[in-house]
Amino acid sequence: MSELQFIQSALEQTARRRRLARALHGGWIGLLVGSALWLLGIGIYKLAPVSIGWLAGAGMLALGCAFAGFIAGGWRKASLNETARWVDMRQNLKERLSTALEVSSQPSGSTWNGLVLADAAMSIRGLDPRRLVRFTLPMTARWALLLLCVGAGLGFVPEYRSPKFLQQQADAQHINETGRQLAELTRHELQRRPPALEVTRHSLEAVADLGDELARETLTRGEALRELASASDQLKELLRQLADNPALKKLEQAARTSGGRESQTATEVQREIDALQQQLGEQAGRPEVLEKLQHELMKAQQTAQALRNAAGGSQAAAQEQLSASLAALAQQAEQAGISLPQLDEALAALAANQIESVSQALEAALTDLERRRDLADKLQQLQAQKLGKDLAEQLQQGQVAAAVQSLKKLAEQLWSAGLSPEQLQRIREQVADAVAPAEEYGRLAEWLQQAGQQLQQRNPPMAAQSLTAAAKELEDLLQQLADAGALMTTLENLQAASHCIGTGQGWSLSQQPGTGGSSRSSAGFGAWADQHHAWSNPGSWAGSGGESSTAGTGIGSRDFSDGDPTLREPLTPARVKGQFSPGAPMPGITLKGVSLKGQSTVQYEEAVITAQADAQAALSQEKVPRAYQGAVRSYFDDLKK
Amino acid sequence: MCFVVWNQKPMNTEQHIQSFRNTYAALQNEIVKVIVGHTAIVEHTLIALFGGGHVLLEGVPGLGKTLLIRTLGEVLDMPFNRIQFTPDLMPADILGTNLVMETDTGRREFQFQRGPIFAHLILADEINRATPKTQSAMLEAMQEKQVTAGGELRKLTEPFFVMATQNPIDQEGTYPLPEAQLDRFFFKILVGYPSAADLNEVINRTTTGTKTEVNKVLDRDTLMDLMKLVREVPVASHVKDYAVRLVLATHPKTDTAAPIANQYLRFGSSPRGAQTLILAGKVRALAQGRFNVSFEDIQAAALPALRHRLIPNFEAEAEGITTDHIIAQILRDVPVTAEMVDA
Repeated sequence: MSELQFIQSALEQTARRRRLARALHGGWIGLLVGSALWLLGIGIYKLAPVSIGWLAGAGMLALGCAFAGFIAGGWRKASLNETARWVDMRQNLKERLSTALEVSSQPSGSTWNGLVLADAAMSIRGLDPRRLVRFTLPMTARWALLLLCVGAGLGFVPEYRSPKFLQQQADAQHINETGRQLAELTRHELQRRPPALEVTRHSLEAVADLGDELARETLTRGEALRELASASDQLKELLRQLADNPALKKLEQAARTSGGRESQTATEVQREIDALQQQLGEQAGRPEVLEKLQHELMKAQQTAQALRNAAGGSQAAAQEQLSASLAALAQQAEQAGISLPQLDEALAALAANQIESVSQALEAALTDLERRRDLADKLQQLQAQKLGKDLAEQLQQGQVAAAVQSLKKLAEQLWSAGLSPEQLQRIREQVADAVAPAEEYGRLAEWLQQAGQQLQQRNPPMAAQSLTAAAKELEDLLQQLADAGALMTTLENLQAASHCIGTGQGWSLSQQPGTGGSSRSSAGFGAWADQHHAWSNPGSWAGSGGESSTAGTGIGSRDFSDGDPTLREPLTPARVKGQFSPGAPMPGITLKGVSLKGQSTVQYEEAVITAQADAQAALSQEKVPRAYQGAVRSYFDDLKK
Repeated sequence: MCFVVWNQKPMNTEQHIQSFRNTYAALQNEIVKVIVGHTAIVEHTLIALFGGGHVLLEGVPGLGKTLLIRTLGEVLDMPFNRIQFTPDLMPADILGTNLVMETDTGRREFQFQRGPIFAHLILADEINRATPKTQSAMLEAMQEKQVTAGGELRKLTEPFFVMATQNPIDQEGTYPLPEAQLDRFFFKILVGYPSAADLNEVINRTTTGTKTEVNKVLDRDTLMDLMKLVREVPVASHVKDYAVRLVLATHPKTDTAAPIANQYLRFGSSPRGAQTLILAGKVRALAQGRFNVSFEDIQAAALPALRHRLIPNFEAEAEGITTDHIIAQILRDVPVTAEMVDA
């Protein structure tokens, strides 16, 4: 090995080792930078409300920095000349190596070249690259390790999250969950009852999409409520348009009064009516009588409660007044044929000055009266829903499904040959009688008139066609009614979602009666809302819709007293503390909603929407006395404007 | 003991280098017999000698400047002249003049009478006491190694060294040397006061009646050979580059200027500064037994080679900043090579 080769070999080894050392050094610097960034990321994560992805990102960045530093450090390959200069400096060789390398590249022959090379070779005879380039932990590495340790320690420190942020996070999660529920319910509704009208289908799909959006996006409570309110408004507008159709209105009223009992035979209904009348008596079957008695009894109960707090002379006077009113009540009940033994017990307790027992007896009497009132309501409904005997009567009573069946039956009769003139006459008379009540069902009257004329002209096939068309008209109306029902169900779901988001309650909680849910929240929905609870109960739709929609009148019952017996109990109105007398000053009412204490951080719009949802819930749960319901509704409607 | 090394057979390069080292060491040994202390000054003087340049020694009177040059003249076996510069010294007194001479035949004719400049080694004592006119008489001789006298150009015999001394310019009766002449000096060496030990030794040597004898150790031809040898020493490109960057850093208001040069210099070094750095580095490398020039050699030569080539501005003079301060700062500012900065 020549002197030059010896020098080059030593320098190559040194260069390789130096390159690795540079790469390691770069790696340590990268790790230091990455550690600092990671520490910063942890610090931000611990203090600021950022996602945990930050932390992972910072960790990846730290590793990336270390790797990038390693690559950058070892990227450049130092030339032998550079290495020679570096070794010259490190070993204090006074530029022997670098000069030797340089002169060796020049044309040889000079004695000086040999001298310089020999001198350089001699100077590095004991050179050990491993000792020259040592792989030790530089200060950078120590700092990097320290930062990593600090970062790891910081990992055990719990994160600080402001109550506002936690609330926002919970809200967002809640909104997502509510959106998911809304989307699922709406799609289920779409699948179960595909809407007949295109506009209805679009509206329902829009609501499902809104549910998806709520489930997917991160929205604030205000934004979510605004979206829901906007969707609700659209559905309400659609419902209003449907409600403008007088035929549909008639159908809806008929459905409400019939209670969905068309599928029962008239005999069964009559039997039930008789049983209830026997149970209630002549007078007791009238709800207004029972309501009056209930009202008087509530007054007496308030007096009894006031008596407990009264003292001295005022107590005696009040006791006497209560005794008189109870006696009058007992007399009224007897005249109405209602047996209320609790009143006698109350009088006896009053005489014995046992005020507590008086209250208990009056409470029991009120419960009894309420039960009777429910029975009386039921009786009234049953009386109203007896199936009409012919087409005219069915149309008059709004028994549309039965009317459709009757029309089809008549059409079939007309199609079949061999009808006697008397039979034709009877059919013509039946059709002619039905024209007047059919005026309220769109073009039905026209079809019936046409059929009547055709029958008069002895043209049964054409009359049969007209009657089929009339039946089709009614079926279309029923389908539209079903669409309206689907819209109502979806609207209720939207209301429930609004309530959920507004109050922070879960979907299932908001669906339960008495918790501000939407199960009975029909009041306040424009034209439809002015009715009682029609169109409003998704549970009832589910229970009595579907099959019954075509079998009977096709209209689901809105009466809570029938349908699924398991639903009946939770839907029974619960007694609430405090009884209100119409006309008296309105006492304070506690409405469930977001608890706002101290400085409000809630947006005004959000607060209004929440309050509206709460008010709606309170109205639907009859927490607000009937006398004040209009005022409360108009107040919140004004707020909305 | 005599250290004469000339009159030897032809030598190869290695022997030549060894001969240089021996001669250098012998010269040093002889000079230090007379000169006490001032090791660096002696070294710089010898470097200038082998580098083929002139030397300017500056110091207050009585510090041994003249003695050093005179001793050097004694150890070199070459014609040596001393010129004492005074305010009334005329150029002809240095260069020589035409005199009317009578020939053997009785004819009178002008003959050029050579001045003291016609020697190998000139001691220009207190050079700044002469007027600028007289000082300028040295310019041509120092750079071109020739003089023009009596309308004729006359070559000086090589080697030709001017070893000048001067008193600090703020002293009475001095005329500052023009920049052009200063630039012709290879080194400007500052002679400082001796230390206590050196002063003791000076007293011992000069007050006891003992006389120190010095030997001649170098003749003209050998010196010429060694000067030639010096120029053969290889210099790596990055070392040359360092010398160039040092010189460029002294040029104010340029891209390469060091900050301190911009602040305190009016003019930077001429290219002669870079030449001097390299030549001085070569001599030093050989003297230290190396075959190549190192950064350290360049740095060691920077002060004597550049201090008289930098012209400070008014601000520097007002603040008492000397060129030595500026050069020291430039040496700190200019990195030897980029790789070494990384390392």
